[in-house]
Amino acid sequence: MIDLIKQCITMSIPLVLIALAGFFSERGGVINIGLEGKTLLACFFAVAFSSRFGPGMGLCLTIVATSLVSLLHWLLTQVYRMDHIISGMAINLLAAGATSFFKFKFAPDGLDDAHSPPKMLLYALGIIAPALLWWLSHKTRFGLQHRSAGSDPDKARLLGINPQGIRFMGLIGTGVLCALAGSLLIAETPQFTDGMTSGRGYIALAALILGGWRPVNAGLACLLFGAASALQIQYNGQYIPSEAWKSLPYLVTLLAIAGFLGRNRTPAGLGKP
Amino acid sequence: MVRVFLLLAKLLIRCISSGRDFALKLYRAQRSGDLRKLFHATVLGLAGSILLVASLMVAGANPVSAISQLLTGSVGSASAISGTIREMTPLLILGVSVFLALKAGLFNIGAEGQFLVGSCFAAATMLAVGGPLGVVLGVLVGAISGGLWALPAGYIKAFRNGHEVITTIMLNNIAVNLTKWLVSGPFKGEKAVSATTATLPINSQLTPLIKIGQFELPQAVVVGILLTVGVGYWLTKTTSGYELRAAGANPTAAEFAGVKTKQVTVKAMFLSGSIAGIAGALQIAQFEHRFYDGSSVGYGFDALGVALLAGGNPYGLFASSFLFGALNKGGTSLMGLGIDKGITTMVLAIVIIIFAAIKYRQRGGQND
Amino acid sequence: MNLAVEMTQISKRYGDVQALDQVSLAVEKGTIHALVGENGAGKTTLMKALYGALIPDSGLIRLNGDRVTLKSSREAIAQGIGMVSQHYGIIGELTNLENLILGAENGPVLTPAQNEQRAQELAQQMGFEFDWSAESSTLSPAGGQKLEILKLLWRNSQIMILDEPTAMLSPQDSDALYASLKQLAASGTTIIVVTHRLPEVFEHCKRVTVVRGGCLIADHEVAEVGATQLAEEIVGGSVIERPTPVSSASGVTSLAVSDLEVKGDKGQVAVKGISFDLKAGQLVGIAGVDGNGQRELFHSIIGYAKPIAGSITLNGDSWIGASIGERIIAGLRVIPEDRHHEGVIEDWTLFENSSLGLQRLAEFSNIGAGQAELAPRMAEKFSTKHGGLNQKMGSLSGGNQQRFVAGRALEIYPKLILAFQPARGLDLNSTTKVYREIRRRCDEGATAVIVSFDLDELLDFCDRILVMNHGELYEPKPEEARDRTAIGRLMVGAA
Repeated sequence: MIDLIKQCITMSIPLVLIALAGFFSERGGVINIGLEGKTLLACFFAVAFSSRFGPGMGLCLTIVATSLVSLLHWLLTQVYRMDHIISGMAINLLAAGATSFFKFKFAPDGLDDAHSPPKMLLYALGIIAPALLWWLSHKTRFGLQHRSAGSDPDKARLLGINPQGIRFMGLIGTGVLCALAGSLLIAETPQFTDGMTSGRGYIALAALILGGWRPVNAGLACLLFGAASALQIQYNGQYIPSEAWKSLPYLVTLLAIAGFLGRNRTPAGLGKP
Repeated sequence: MVRVFLLLAKLLIRCISSGRDFALKLYRAQRSGDLRKLFHATVLGLAGSILLVASLMVAGANPVSAISQLLTGSVGSASAISGTIREMTPLLILGVSVFLALKAGLFNIGAEGQFLVGSCFAAATMLAVGGPLGVVLGVLVGAISGGLWALPAGYIKAFRNGHEVITTIMLNNIAVNLTKWLVSGPFKGEKAVSATTATLPINSQLTPLIKIGQFELPQAVVVGILLTVGVGYWLTKTTSGYELRAAGANPTAAEFAGVKTKQVTVKAMFLSGSIAGIAGALQIAQFEHRFYDGSSVGYGFDALGVALLAGGNPYGLFASSFLFGALNKGGTSLMGLGIDKGITTMVLAIVIIIFAAIKYRQRGGQND
Repeated sequence: MNLAVEMTQISKRYGDVQALDQVSLAVEKGTIHALVGENGAGKTTLMKALYGALIPDSGLIRLNGDRVTLKSSREAIAQGIGMVSQHYGIIGELTNLENLILGAENGPVLTPAQNEQRAQELAQQMGFEFDWSAESSTLSPAGGQKLEILKLLWRNSQIMILDEPTAMLSPQDSDALYASLKQLAASGTTIIVVTHRLPEVFEHCKRVTVVRGGCLIADHEVAEVGATQLAEEIVGGSVIERPTPVSSASGVTSLAVSDLEVKGDKGQVAVKGISFDLKAGQLVGIAGVDGNGQRELFHSIIGYAKPIAGSITLNGDSWIGASIGERIIAGLRVIPEDRHHEGVIEDWTLFENSSLGLQRLAEFSNIGAGQAELAPRMAEKFSTKHGGLNQKMGSLSGGNQQRFVAGRALEIYPKLILAFQPARGLDLNSTTKVYREIRRRCDEGATAVIVSFDLDELLDFCDRILVMNHGELYEPKPEEARDRTAIGRLMVGAA
């Protein structure tokens, strides 16, 4: 039982961080298919920086570097007005290529314990993050304007709000949270391998949608998905094929998008300039 | 201690907000038209090339030898060209699939999943029926299963207002698990150790259409070419193709013109999925001769790039799928120089970014 | 007299159009002042100048006696000016409280309890009731309008500009709204109402200013002017004797509409149970000020909007349940209001656009051949200027796009021609050509319905004129059928 809970936390907290990273961009109106790539890059940065500068500095540099990548996304979607989906896919592709290409040079070995990112801190952050983001989103000026930019950028503009500026900050938030998620994955498996995020970016996106683009609900959806995979690992295909377990999050999300699980809460301004 | 922390925090906020101000200036300059198309094409192209060359140098490789290896590895010999065509074949057919959906205003990121489902069921059919008839039936089953796999995305887009990108991503992941389960259970070959079907009998394997020495022209690529021409003709010369393009180009105007845009969306998604399924079936019959877990190495995602680079012209698919095929094939040969093939993925990503930044831009919005 | 707003000799020119020509406006503090006029009279332009949304070419603005220059809305807001435009500024996904404070928050951290308290006070002061934590998507049109006014109060606006505030409200809601506005005025707020509804002016406003064609026409104490005079000033007495267009209308009913009810995009009932019969050969104009249900009527005849009640038949065939495509095959041809979104595909060539909407007709059974044959004729018809039919539609000017769209609608045997402002962006010569062609089609047995905000245009070309006001349809008395003033009165609800 303890194992199961442990397993569940290990599986879900990285998802929580990635899903909330998605919240930062999507609720402000930027469609983010690029979570997978950003997290993958964050894993790479975490190994590359932590092995040289130690865990503390390594984490900081990872955050800075991932935020810069996230701002590249801002540049493409908001300044170059590139299609949000194409730019997200391109970032995933770029991340997959670059990390694979550079891993022998910069992240060839695993991290030893002395260089491993601060695991407990990251878990703690992951646990409080949904509440923190709820507060930020509902109790602060930034949060309100952020939601207005995601719901109707044109009307927000009429009220003197600059959606592009708000989204800039939002994408920094995305970068920071992806960096935390990537560092956490590295803290658990201290070696960088190609495609090590193994679709977590997409599952997190699913959780965000299932949670109706609300931080606490998205966090709960991640917990649900995490629990499902923990159960799958525990009972490895004993009762139900493990593939069915793995498909469950996607299937549930599909139903949610189709509006069979309550009303569609897609922010109306998603993807609008 | 607290004061130092506060000071640092203040500094950080200052830093971020001045960064934002600079970025917004850039945004305004861009919006007011100071940066012209040509200008940012050049800037992006230069930045991309510098990034690539720098990457190679940082990784300790010689850019010149890397590029020449890439060229010889992909088009330098008859066997290299055959390899490139082999890589190109699924990309071309999947490119047609994505292209068709794109014309209807849909991003079919689900080509990957439709390809997997199509090839899995096609393989099972070919094995069950056997012989040339099995191949024909297999392709048919591949088309139908691929189309059905895409159908939920079309339906949800048309009638439940759910974005097709998200639904097809979900369907892709389900497809991976479904096919994995199928080939490790019901469809598993009798003597197979890993998750794979049995190998097709010889009389169900498609032979190359032309074989001259090392050079091989597979039948599948010919089917791909015919499909491209056929879809191109259908889109431009027929009423239903015209209506599909209208629905994709301007849904409101199409609706006013009497096009039932919702039905068109569902139909386009089904057709796109069917073509992806055909790609899967042919991949089995021509090249793989069996279906196994991990059959697709992300062809569906590359196909999105192939279709985008075609730039609205179906015949552009030939060039773009060839480019992608050459990069895939050449990338593998870079391994010989100790250069990871990740660099070719980076090339693709950068090409897509540059192209999309010029061609696929949003309109509307206001200046502020 | 204590003047809150004094605008003196404001002029504004857009290209060739003099939108405002030395217009002056003086508004007394603590009153409700009406600004009336037809579409395009310059009401909104004048108010935008006051709101800082545009900078006039010349003229002075004084607020409470002090001269000001307003370079942006931000500056106007800082001066205590607030505007509720017709484009609804409420975001449905936020709560009412959030919408109220959005853009005017007290600080980086919100204080919901405090905010709600102040919101509640403001609402009580106005006699409004709001569930502050409910999402604004649940608001009725009236509720939305009230929230907009509270938004201005939240921003401490002393001068409020309301653009057609009752356009989407029922009479009861309108009365309630004006009651609150009067209360506000009594407490010292100055209110400018842009409207075209004369009953509202007479019932609720103290002074009224009339503009027409960008010029100031009159300025009255409401108590000192009559409805007939005001209506005449708004539409202008025409001195030109115009011949009644000759109609070849037969006695056969073609388009029949009965008890039609249609909802608008904000959920209000925009067309309120109207009925009419049109004969084959008639060229019918629907007059009215923008936003009185013409758009919804138009969309429901096309088949783009589903009516909630009533019937539409063409030559006896019911069109309820018929798709747009079926109606087109039956002979429907449309010149839509918004050609960018509804009429053309700008990324396509003129050739490709020539079959848009007609693609299921026999002429286009071979689509390429049909385009090659018909596109030149469509472009020719109203002399669309283009650099080859392979040119993209988007590279044509608005007027030329309109010429092409009109040519396309009139090319292949129309039975029912629906046109929304068909002369938009056209010069007088082309306008005449378009109407002449419509008339020729009517003489061949088609029926045409033209929605236009330009009464003179309708009087010049239509043989029958109907008027829409507030979702209802009116037909002038037979003896007044060509009487500009009488029709004008119907348009502004003063009959």
